[in-house]
Amino acid sequence: MSHHYVVTAQKPTAVVACLTGNFTSPTDLNLIIARNNQVEIDLVTPEGLRPLKEININGAIAVMRHFRPPDSNKDLLFILTRRYNVMILECRMVGDSITVITKANGNVSDPVGIPSEGGVIAAIDPKARVIGMCLYQGLFTIIPMDKDASELKATNLRMDELTVYDVEFLHGCLNPTVIVIHMDNDGRHVKSHEINLRDKEFMKIAWKQDNVETEATMLIPVPSPIGGVVVIGRESIVYHDGSNYHAVAPLTFRQSTINCYARVDSKGQRYLLGNMDGQLYMLFLGTSETSKGTMSVKDIKVEQLGEISIPECITYLDNGFLYIGSRHGDSQLVRLSSDAIDGSYVIPVENFTNLAPILDIAVVDLDRQGQGQIITCSGSFKDGSLRIIRIGIGIQEHACIDLPGIKGMWSLKVGMDESPYENTLVLAFVGHTRILTLSGEEVEETEIPGFASDSQTFLCANVEYDQIVQVTAESVRLVKSSTKLLVAEWQPEGDRSIGVVSCNGTQIVVASARDIFYIVIEDGNLVEKSRKTLAYEVACLDITPLDEQENKSDLVAVGLWTDISAVILSLPDLEAIYTEKLSGEIIPRSILMTTFEGIHYLLCALGDGSMFYFILDKTSGQLTDKKKVTLGTQPTTLRTFRSFATTNVFACSDRPTVIYSSNHKLVFSNVNLKEVNHMCSLNAQAYPDSLALATKSSVILGTIDEIQKLHIRTVPLGEGPRRIAYQEASQTFAVSTMRIDVHGRGGAKPMRNSASTQAQNITCSSNILPKPGGGNPTAANAEVGQEVDVHNLLVIDQNTFEVLHAHQFVPPETISSLMSAKLGDDPNTYYVVATSLVFPDEPEPKVGRIIIFHYHDNKLTQVAETKVDGTCYALVEFNGKVLAGIGSFVRLYEWTNEKELRMECNIQNMIAALYLKAKGDFILVGDLMRSITLLQHKQMEGIFVEIARDCEPKWMRAVEILDDDTFLGSETNGNLFVCQKDSAATTDEERQLLPELARFHLGDTVNVFRHGSLVMQNVGERTTPVNGCVLYGTCNGAIGIVTQIPQDFYDFLHGLEERLKKIIKSVGKIEHTYYRNFQIHTKVEPSEGFIDGDLIESFLDLTRDKMRDAVLGLELTLNGERKCADVEDVIKIVEDLTRMH
Amino acid sequence: KCPDPRPSRLHSFNYNLASRHFRTQAGFPTASYDRRHVHTHFAPWRTIRSADFEDMGFTCCDIVPNSKFVIVGTHQGEAKVFNINDGVEQFSSICHTYSVNSVKANCSGELALTTTLWRSPQTILWSIRNNEFQSKLRLAEVTHCEFSQASQDRLLGTLNECAVLYDINTGSKVSTFTPTIPNLYTQNRATLCRTDELLLSDGVLWDVRSCKEIHKFDKFNQNISGVFHPNCLEIIANTEVWDLRTFHLLQTVPVLDQRKVTFSPMNVIYGATLGSDQDQDTDTTAYDTRSSFNVLDAYDYSSIATIDVKRTINDLSVSGNGSLIAVVEDHSVYDSKQETYVKIYAVGIKKSERSEEEDDEEVPESDEEG
Repeated sequence: MSHHYVVTAQKPTAVVACLTGNFTSPTDLNLIIARNNQVEIDLVTPEGLRPLKEININGAIAVMRHFRPPDSNKDLLFILTRRYNVMILECRMVGDSITVITKANGNVSDPVGIPSEGGVIAAIDPKARVIGMCLYQGLFTIIPMDKDASELKATNLRMDELTVYDVEFLHGCLNPTVIVIHMDNDGRHVKSHEINLRDKEFMKIAWKQDNVETEATMLIPVPSPIGGVVVIGRESIVYHDGSNYHAVAPLTFRQSTINCYARVDSKGQRYLLGNMDGQLYMLFLGTSETSKGTMSVKDIKVEQLGEISIPECITYLDNGFLYIGSRHGDSQLVRLSSDAIDGSYVIPVENFTNLAPILDIAVVDLDRQGQGQIITCSGSFKDGSLRIIRIGIGIQEHACIDLPGIKGMWSLKVGMDESPYENTLVLAFVGHTRILTLSGEEVEETEIPGFASDSQTFLCANVEYDQIVQVTAESVRLVKSSTKLLVAEWQPEGDRSIGVVSCNGTQIVVASARDIFYIVIEDGNLVEKSRKTLAYEVACLDITPLDEQENKSDLVAVGLWTDISAVILSLPDLEAIYTEKLSGEIIPRSILMTTFEGIHYLLCALGDGSMFYFILDKTSGQLTDKKKVTLGTQPTTLRTFRSFATTNVFACSDRPTVIYSSNHKLVFSNVNLKEVNHMCSLNAQAYPDSLALATKSSVILGTIDEIQKLHIRTVPLGEGPRRIAYQEASQTFAVSTMRIDVHGRGGAKPMRNSASTQAQNITCSSNILPKPGGGNPTAANAEVGQEVDVHNLLVIDQNTFEVLHAHQFVPPETISSLMSAKLGDDPNTYYVVATSLVFPDEPEPKVGRIIIFHYHDNKLTQVAETKVDGTCYALVEFNGKVLAGIGSFVRLYEWTNEKELRMECNIQNMIAALYLKAKGDFILVGDLMRSITLLQHKQMEGIFVEIARDCEPKWMRAVEILDDDTFLGSETNGNLFVCQKDSAATTDEERQLLPELARFHLGDTVNVFRHGSLVMQNVGERTTPVNGCVLYGTCNGAIGIVTQIPQDFYDFLHGLEERLKKIIKSVGKIEHTYYRNFQIHTKVEPSEGFIDGDLIESFLDLTRDKMRDAVLGLELTLNGERKCADVEDVIKIVEDLTRMH
Repeated sequence: KCPDPRPSRLHSFNYNLASRHFRTQAGFPTASYDRRHVHTHFAPWRTIRSADFEDMGFTCCDIVPNSKFVIVGTHQGEAKVFNINDGVEQFSSICHTYSVNSVKANCSGELALTTTLWRSPQTILWSIRNNEFQSKLRLAEVTHCEFSQASQDRLLGTLNECAVLYDINTGSKVSTFTPTIPNLYTQNRATLCRTDELLLSDGVLWDVRSCKEIHKFDKFNQNISGVFHPNCLEIIANTEVWDLRTFHLLQTVPVLDQRKVTFSPMNVIYGATLGSDQDQDTDTTAYDTRSSFNVLDAYDYSSIATIDVKRTINDLSVSGNGSLIAVVEDHSVYDSKQETYVKIYAVGIKKSERSEEEDDEEVPESDEEG
C-alpha cells in the first residue's frame, strides 16, 4: 500500500473573483475576494483594506457573485464551485466577530449533462428572483430563489444556442430576462430570453441582434432606468436595448481582449474595463431624456486610463479606489486620479503578492543547510516574475546604524536601574570599545569613565548590586552603574592576558590559556574563589544559570582546544565532573548551557558552523543524547535571548539560525538575514523586545517574528518566465521567457522594457532553422501592429538576481524546455536548451533543436546543437546523457568526446511525452492523455524497455518519482494519484500494469513537482515519521508538500481526519468526502492513500473542548505501545506536522 | 454588422500543442484542443486473428467495459473472447447457426447479447462465467437488442418497426412500443437514452414509463433510425441532428451519411459504415467510405479526423475509457482469399514509420488494458 500526507505550504494566491458590497452590516463597505477554495472578507476603511475573515470552502470556486434580496439592506454572496456545489452565504456580526452563515446550499450537477467546455457562467437576476447558470452543453440551469428554502434546487432549461460566450440578466424587466452572446455558423449573435419562473421554461425572445462582432465575448447589463446591455468585442463596443443601438470602435483598444469590467456608479453610466494587456479603460454612456421621460443612451465614450496588473476581475470600492484581482500578476489596490501623471490616471496604492500561475520551480539549497529555497517562474506576459520563497523567522528591521568591524556587542542599563528598559549598547572593536546611548529613537555615542575604552571588550553585563562588569584582555573591571566609576578590578598575575570569559549576575569565570579562575561579584568587590589548571587551553566558556529564577550557576561549561572536548566543571571548586569528547578536529567556538521547556541542554558550536547538543543533567553534569546539526559554514557564536516569554538561542554565523524548543524538541529555524556576526537582546524604550544584530558593516535593531513562515521575494521580469534551471558551477539560473514585440515600420520592437531587453549582455540566435517545406519564417511583410512572441534565454546571477545575459531566439523559434547538466566525461556543466519552430497553423511543431550552451567567464557560448523532429517538451540529465521527451518519442542522446550529441536510443509509444523524471535506469513519462509509463534503459543493449504503464487515461500535468516503485502524478482536473509498480505480481501481464493505489482531489492543478524540503533536513528531531518530501507548485499559485508516511501513522491520521470531518462544519456545507473525491469525467472514486494535511492542521484551531471531542476514542502507538490518544499527544503530533512548512 | 476584427492570436496560441502546453499551465482552458488533437491519430496496436483464420470470418466485436477482453462474433455463428493485450483466444462458443450480426456485453461484463440475422432464435442473452457462455434468454424475431442504460435490468429488443422491453431475469415482455404510423426504416434499431426515460424506435420517440408516443421525426433516409446523443438533448438520425425537446432540426452532418455512430466517453463520435449493413444497400456507399471511419466532436459535430483503414469495416467498438477502439476489418480482395481480423487502435498514438510501411503489421508495443 501507499500512504501519503499532502499539505499546503502557501495558500493559492490567484484571484478568481472580487466584489464590493455591504455584507457585514448595511453600512459596512466590504471587499470580498475569492481565491481557489478561499474567500477573504475585508472591510474598506479610509485607512485602507482591513481583513476581517478568511473562510475555506470545500471546493474550487468557479463563480462568485453577490445580490441583495428585495427586502434587505445587506448583500448576500452566491458561490458556485467547479463541482457544481452552490451556496448562498450571509455575514453576521456576533459580538465583535463575523460569522459566515450558509443560508442555502445544494448541488446542481446533472449526471447526464456534458460539461460546457468554455467554463461555467453564472448570473443573478437584478431583482434576485432567479440564478441562471451555463454548466452543461445545450442547457441553461436556473435556481428559482425562495427566501426560506435552505436547499437550492436547479432546473435545466434547453438552450437552443449551443456555443455560449456570456450570459447576463437584463435590468428592468417584468419577468427575469437573460441575454446571451452565442455563436453559430454565421457568426456571433445577441439574444434575450424571458424566463417563466412558474413553469420553469423560456417564454419568448424579447429582442435579438444578429451578427455582432465576431469576437464579442462579454455583456454588461446596464441598470435601470437606462437598461439594455453593452456588448464588448475585441475592437468594438455596442450598446443595445432592443430598439436603441450605438456602436464605437475605440482606437486605443489593442489586440488584447477586454476580459473584465466593474461598474462605477449605480446609475450605470460609467464602467471600468480591463484587458489581458493590463490596460484599464473607462467606458462612459452618454444619455439623454426622451420625450416620454425615460433615459436613453445617445453616445459611448471610451478613454484609456493607464496600466494595471493583468486583471481577472475589477471592483470599484469607493472614492476612486479600485481593487484589481489578478491571476497572472500581483493583485492591486489602485486609485484613479483626476489628473494624468505621465499620461496615466492610475496610481498604484498596494500590491498583493500572487505567485500564480507557477509554471516551473527550482528548489535550491544555496546555503547548504539541507533547506530548500524555491524559485518560481510566476506570472504571465508583462507581469512575469521570479519569486524566491524561503521559510524562516523574519526580522522586522526598525533601525540600522552603519558601523563596520564589530567584534562584540552587549546591551546595558546604565544609571537607571529601576527602569525595565536598557539604554546603552556596548560595541567592541579591535583595540577599542565604543558605547552608544539610546535616548528615544536617537542613538549617540557616550563614555563610561570606569570602562577601559581603549581596549577591546570581551564581555559586558549588568550584575548584582547595580554594578556593571567589563572584561578586556587585561582585566575584569567592576563599575558602579550610578556613578559610572570603577569600583574594583581583577587581573591575572604577571603579564598573562584573559582569553575567554563568561558571567552571570553574581559569578564570573575567566580563562587564560589552560588556567581557569572563578570570581564572585560582591558589592564593590571582585573575589577570586578558586582556580584550576586544565589539561588543554580553554576555547570557550559558559556560566549561564540553568534555572531562570537563579542568578548563580552550579556548573561551568568549558570547550577545550587540542582534544576537542566539552567539560562540565562544578562550582566553586572547578572540579571536572564530566568530559565529553567531541569527534573531529574542529575547535569548539561557543558553548552554552540553556533550558528549554524545563529540559537542560548544552549547546556547543564548532568552528565549521556545525553544532553539537546534549541533554545536560543539572546535578551530575552528565551529557546525554548527543546530536549534531549543521547551521552554517563559519565559526558560530551562540547567544540566548528571550522573546514572547520563552528562551531562544541565536546562533550568529553566515547562516543565522534561531534555536527554540517546541514540544520538547529543538527546532532550528532560519533567519531571513544574510549574515550576523554578533547579537544581543535589546529592550530599550523605543525598541522594546528587540534584538541588536551586528553584520559585517552595520548594526540592525529589529524585532523577531514569533513563528517561522514563508518569505517571498519578487524579481520582476516584465515578461513571462516559463522554465528555470539552476547551475551550481556558474552560480547562475537559466530562465526561459517569452515577451511580446510589436511590428512597426522598421520591424518588430519590444513593447516595453523587460528583463531580456535590459540584460548586461544580449546576443541573438544566428542559427535560423528553415521552415519545413520552405519559406522564410521571419515575417518580413508583417502588418504594422502585429504582435510576435520573442523567446529569450536569460542567465541570472544566483545572489543578486541580475540578468547577466539574454540570448534571443528569432521568432517563431520557441524555447520548450531547459536544464543544467554535466555530460559524459566533460568537466564543464552546460545549459541544455530545447527549442522548436511554432507555426500557428500546425498542430505540432515539426522541427526543433537541442542546443548546448556553456556559461563561463560572463560569456554564453553555444557548444553544440542537434536538430530534432518535433518539440522537446522535457529534458532530464540521465547518467551523464541527455534524456529528452520529443513529441511522441523518448530519446537518449550521449555526449561524445567531439562534443556532439549522438542519439543512443529511442522509443515511441506516447501521444506527447510532456513530462519526464528519471531515477537510476528508470524513466517515468507523463503523457498528454495516456497517464504515466515507466521505462527502463538497458545500458548494455542501448535500448529502452517499457516496464509498466497505467492504462486508465489521464490528461497529465506533472509527474514525480517518489521511490523506486512509487510514482506520483497530477492530472488536469486537479487530482493527484499514486501508482505503484507491482514487482511481486505473478504474471507478466500484471507486472506491466501500474496499479493506482492512492488518489486525492487537490482542487488545484499541480504544474510541477520537485524533490526538496522547505525546512532544514537532517535535524533528527521528528516525532512524525515522514519519508521524503516533494514540493509542488500549482496553477493558482499554491505551494505544497507531498510526503510518504508509514501505514500505522496513516491509520492514526486517517482516524483523526474522520473525526475532524464530523467536527469541523465547513461553510457552504460541502462534505469533505465529496470535496476530496477523485473525479475524472464521469468516474468518481473516494479519496484514499492520502491524508488531507490542511484538514489535520485545522485541528490546532479548534477550541479545547472540540479538540477533546476530536481525539475521543482515537488510538495511537507511542514508543511501541498502543494507547488512547489524549489532546496533548495529538497537538504535539500535529504541531510537528505543521513544522514541515 | 460590425467589421470583422483581425484574426485572433488566441486561437493560434491554442492550436499548436507546443504553445498550448504553456497556456494550459497558465490556466487557460485548452481541453477541447487537446481532445481534438488526441483524436486525430490512431495507431494500430494489436491485431487479433483467429487461430484458424483461414476459415473464420469475423463479423462484429465489442470491447467488454472495464476489462481486457473483446468479444468477437464470427460468420460461423461463434462468439470468441480474446485478451486484448496478447491477442490470445480465451474461449469461444457456438452461439448461432448462422453469422453473428452483433455482439454486446453489459457493463459488468457478465452478460452478453448476440444477434444473428436469421434462423430463430435471433437474439440470445448469455451469461459468461468460468470461461463459458451459458444461454439465459432466447428472444426469437429480435433483430437488434441492447441492454437498458442506467440500470441494466432490462433488454430492449427490436422486432421490425416495434420495440419490446424485456425483463432481463424472466424474459417477460415489460412493454411493447408499436408506432401508429411507422417509418419503416430498413435497419431499425430501437434504443434507450442514458436515463432510460425515453425510447427511440423507427424514428418515433416514446416515453418509456407511459408507453406513449411523444413525437415522430421526419424520415430523411431509408435505413438508419437514429440514436440518442449521450447528453440526452439530441437525436442523431443518419445525417440529421434533432433537438429532443423542441424537435427542431438542429444541424445536418453530411459525413454521417449511412454511418453507424458510436460514442466515446472522451466526447467524440465515431461514425463508420459497417460491412453487415452495406450488404443490403451496396449501391449507396462507395468503397472508400466503407473503409474509413470518421471522428467527430460530440459537442458540435465538427469533423476531427477521417481515418482510412484501407479495409472494409465490419464493426467498431470503443473501450470503456475511450483510449482504445476495436475495428473488425475485412480484407476481401477479388483475387485473394477473404481475411478478417480485429484491429485494436490506440487513440492518440501516431503511426510509427514502420507501421505505415507495412500497414497490416501490428506495432510491437507493450500491453495495455482496455
